[in-house]
Amino acid sequence: MSRHPTLSVSGLSVDYPLTSGGLFRPARTVNAVDGVTFDIAPGETLGLVGESGSGKTTVGRTILRRVPSSGGRIQFEGRDITDVDGAALRKLRARMQIVLQDPYTSLNPRMKIGDIVAEPLLVHGLAESSDAARHAVRQLLDRVGMPADAADRYPHSFSGGQRQRVGIARALALKPSLIVADEPVSALDVSVRAQVVNLMQDLQRELGISYLFIAHDLAIVRHISHRVAIMYAGRIVEIAPRNDLYDNPVHPYTEALLSAVPVANPKVQRARRRIVHTGDTVDIANPPSGCRFHPRCPLATDQCRQASPPLLVKAPGHLAACWNRGR
Amino acid sequence: MTETLLEIDDLHVAFDTRAGVVQAVRGVSLTVGRGETLGLVGESGSGKSVTAQAMMGLIDVPGRISGGTVRWCGTPLVGEGVRRAPRNIWGREITMIFQNPMTSLNPLMTIGAQLQEAVRLHLGLRGAAARTRAADLLNAVGISGAARRLDQYPHEFSGGMRQRVMIAMAIASEPRLLIADEPTTALDVTIQAQILELLAELQSQLGLSIILITHDLGIVAGLCHRVAVMYAGQIVETGAVDTMFEQPAHPYTQGLIRSTPLLDACDDRLVAIDGTPPGLLIPPAGCAFQPRCPVATAPCGVPQVLTPTGTGAVACCRAGIDAWKVGAA
Repeated sequence: MSRHPTLSVSGLSVDYPLTSGGLFRPARTVNAVDGVTFDIAPGETLGLVGESGSGKTTVGRTILRRVPSSGGRIQFEGRDITDVDGAALRKLRARMQIVLQDPYTSLNPRMKIGDIVAEPLLVHGLAESSDAARHAVRQLLDRVGMPADAADRYPHSFSGGQRQRVGIARALALKPSLIVADEPVSALDVSVRAQVVNLMQDLQRELGISYLFIAHDLAIVRHISHRVAIMYAGRIVEIAPRNDLYDNPVHPYTEALLSAVPVANPKVQRARRRIVHTGDTVDIANPPSGCRFHPRCPLATDQCRQASPPLLVKAPGHLAACWNRGR
Repeated sequence: MTETLLEIDDLHVAFDTRAGVVQAVRGVSLTVGRGETLGLVGESGSGKSVTAQAMMGLIDVPGRISGGTVRWCGTPLVGEGVRRAPRNIWGREITMIFQNPMTSLNPLMTIGAQLQEAVRLHLGLRGAAARTRAADLLNAVGISGAARRLDQYPHEFSGGMRQRVMIAMAIASEPRLLIADEPTTALDVTIQAQILELLAELQSQLGLSIILITHDLGIVAGLCHRVAVMYAGQIVETGAVDTMFEQPAHPYTQGLIRSTPLLDACDDRLVAIDGTPPGLLIPPAGCAFQPRCPVATAPCGVPQVLTPTGTGAVACCRAGIDAWKVGAA
């Protein structure tokens, strides 16, 4: 195992064009991700949590180099990959894979399961013969708990949970060291969701893969992650080992988020004090000045309105971006 | 026992498809009392939404009510011999909100026009009086600046605000029962908390009964008095909310609760219920959960009947056994 973190992101920013520029007017952009910094160690799971529009999916896609970044660096296994392209990028992509949210639209309905899983092997020239590919596919499908005859069937004959297993098998085919899992279990029913989460944990223990686990379900994230990062309006507001973050949240947004999650225990849930913040999620096209959470924050001061708080160490391994907390 | 408002008796709903008849709801019986919140829980395809649609008379071709009745304060709404349901119950006494507030609002009409339409229809108010009442409704669901908001269009509202508008419309007729079908599934968690808070407030202020359809056990735990768990078109267990979470009797209810990770504990491995729910084209003869059940035995091959428990009923001959501990050992 290398001494480098599997992934190291520093100051990552992403701008999406809103309107193209004209002769006399500049192009308008949305700053979807702003100065995001984190590491993922080999065999570690970092949970990335945020509400819709917080930029969590964009972070995942930018790391995989599917979306161009507008600032910051991305290092993968010790190597700067921010600007690699061509054949080097193609080679790199074998090492980092994605598992998508919707198992119904992410598998080609006209391809057999076996061909779907074999495709990355063939594209990257990793299977010497079609026999070798078939053998590898059989092993992969078996590893993710699919029946032996699955390779010759089409996606429509499988349930959501089984399709997500196929998506995971396809991601594993190239023996990646990082898998970006973008809401991999959000579309699944509770009982089936547990199957897929357990599978992902087993695979990690066995193969030492790192996961960037993007989700909005805080309970699942606590269950699967080693460390958790909370995003709000394109910025990481807090990042910490999971128990520290859930038991001692520092940032007011993290607090509000945790208190808003309904707990499946009637007595606990009725007794909980909810911090219900007024106001809506932020409009990312017109972000507020200073701390982007300040319009909804009960602690906001003039300093919060004017200057953006840096992500600082508040306890060992526990970073948060708040002017008022944990000084 | 409080006064019973809605009573469903042995409801069957079938859908005629090219592949055959899909039996989506297979003998559901439920009651809802005044001021009560009933949680209807189940996974996708369990028939919970179809049950709600049947209560509202919303089952349309290719679906049909193939048996049973729905009664409102004793008056039959749906079922054999009912040719046309009495007026002024659906949409007035019983109203409904849906998962996606964007598709439920007319994008070409202002919020005010849509609210005033509901007010005019149900309360007979016109002109300035209707507008005032519409503004009052927006205030009641926590939308500030109501006078200005009335002249805006749905696209100018966020998802949470749109769901508030839907709730305002649903309470415009001063209903006695609100059916909420996954009302917060499309919303972010902090906005979800606001909407759930609003529903709880309205319930205590207006004495409203609520049927809350959801797959999220956390929402059930916080808001409901009673719970009914559905699996493969049938109710497998009902009971008071505390009892259901503390001593779930049915192996499926137990599995559902144990496979939901809690926010404050994370070291146990999640219970995963192997396999998937059965297809309802040819429903299983006996217990529908049998193929996935860790404690199934021979008698599970025959149809299970709901037998009373302390606070509800359960349809399982192995009820009360700690199914998942037995299964794991």
